[in-house]
Amino acid sequence: MKIDLEHICRLAHLELSEEEKGYLSVQMDKILDWVGELARLETTEEGKFSPVDFCLRLEADCIEPSLPLEEVLRMAPEKEGDFIKVPKVLVGK
Amino acid sequence: MRLVELGLKESVDLVQKGQLKAEEMVEAHIKHIEDVDSEIKAFLTFCFEQAREKARQLDRKKEKGRLSGAVIAVKDNIVTRGIRTTCGSRILENFIPPYSATVVERLEAEDAIIIGKTNLDEFAMGSSTENSAFFPTRNPWDLERVPGGSSGGSAAAVAAFEAMAALGSDTGGSVRQPAAFCGVVGLKPTYGRVSRYGLVAFASSLDQVGTFARTVKDCALVTSVIAGFDPRDSTSAQVPVPDYAAGLGKSYTRIKVGVLSESSLKGIKPEVAENYHQVISAIRELGLEIEAVTFPSWEVALPCYYIIAPSEASSNLARYDGVRYGFRARAKDLSEMYLKTRTQGFGSEVKRRILLGTFALSSGYYDAYYAKAARARQAITAELMQAFSCVDFIITPTTPEAAFKLGEKQDPISMYLQDYFTVAASLAGFPGLSLPCGLTRSGLPLGLQILARPFFEQDLFDFAFLLEKKLDFKNNRSVLLTRGRRKNEN
Repeated sequence: MKIDLEHICRLAHLELSEEEKGYLSVQMDKILDWVGELARLETTEEGKFSPVDFCLRLEADCIEPSLPLEEVLRMAPEKEGDFIKVPKVLVGK
Repeated sequence: MRLVELGLKESVDLVQKGQLKAEEMVEAHIKHIEDVDSEIKAFLTFCFEQAREKARQLDRKKEKGRLSGAVIAVKDNIVTRGIRTTCGSRILENFIPPYSATVVERLEAEDAIIIGKTNLDEFAMGSSTENSAFFPTRNPWDLERVPGGSSGGSAAAVAAFEAMAALGSDTGGSVRQPAAFCGVVGLKPTYGRVSRYGLVAFASSLDQVGTFARTVKDCALVTSVIAGFDPRDSTSAQVPVPDYAAGLGKSYTRIKVGVLSESSLKGIKPEVAENYHQVISAIRELGLEIEAVTFPSWEVALPCYYIIAPSEASSNLARYDGVRYGFRARAKDLSEMYLKTRTQGFGSEVKRRILLGTFALSSGYYDAYYAKAARARQAITAELMQAFSCVDFIITPTTPEAAFKLGEKQDPISMYLQDYFTVAASLAGFPGLSLPCGLTRSGLPLGLQILARPFFEQDLFDFAFLLEKKLDFKNNRSVLLTRGRRKNEN
């Protein structure tokens, strides 16, 4: 299995150095060959996505106390008033 | 005997009766940590001042809780209000959570005292604690060796008497494997038994908070406190929690124990197989019945896990984008900020798993990898269920080998093979406990994994308690106590 590392990095919002690209592409190919063993297992079952087999509950639709805004914002890397500030979303060419 | 050698249950009893001050106990642990942790490096953050204050308050209280004065370490991927929680990652290096995990609230409500936050592989991804972005932890039995992982700091802290018990998290073996490497008891409860609220997510359908202690009884006591329904975790089960420790010591005659056939033991170190057979003989001597069980899909449990866990991780770790908390890289626009923050903030194993998971979920590959793994997961679960229709417990070695040396495993797959015995229970959501069960010829501890049916933790503790007495494993790591003392005198 050969992985298109650049495409996957774009999807994952990660950038790799030349050195990382070198060893990661070899390692990832090896890992994918290894997990590819799974293809040998005959499976007819439906997939299992969680061990929980009880019915998930719906929360009651009522307002409960939430964390104070000031505390939540304390960890924000940059803020302005009650808002979290981020760099420009759109950049002109 | 020094105070730190006292067991959790004995210490709690004395504090409750007013015969021992929590403050004395806390001071003894702080002194001991200062003596030995520069060598072991189990902790990322110490909470000495909060612990002292909590102990003073407790000593003045009339009504004392079930864990009065129990000195407990908490893995650093479990959030603690006002106390730095890093997940062993640069991306959360300065993160101070505004709330505590349910398990932490429950410990504190019963008067346990949190002494510090323990080291781990970054975001709990690893089996040696070498993937911590800060430093590796060392095994108290041999400082050249790893304590296992990812909860290596918690296991090492308990083994080295730096804490009476500790919390860890187990996604594919991260409590059981370090417990085995460090010669302590480690439980991964049934999925849904313990709230995950406040446990930083790695793979949400697999993660469970687990307990480390030096004895089965202490592990049972702490588990009784942290387990139980929590409305803040939608996967938390509404199943009553018995007082696990109080129920121990029943006598058994009609237990059937499932053991692995020889074919499932291929590839493990001969000393581990030898020890496993000795344990089976010991169980026979107890008059219990042994039955061989086979799992045709056991072989694929590991590849199945290494598709599902990274897939869930790639989704869960998408939240680290530098916007709301944690590290943010300087950038000229938002998409460059995401890219640089994640690239600079994550270590190489985390990147490897995010990429693997992103690939397995990507268009054109989803069916062949993620959907296939989900079907394999169903087959593995069905096989385990089937096996438990014939036996009460299944025992396996916890790990294919004893603790290895730092830097010994450079190839990711050789590290992933550590989880060979532990991932099946994780995929199926079954409870598993690692019990110290002997030493290698060079004196390194080995662990026995005991699996039970979902929500049968009481039976699991009962059986482990019985075996613990029979096997009579001794944690002799109190040699560290005298070493620390000698070093200070020189």
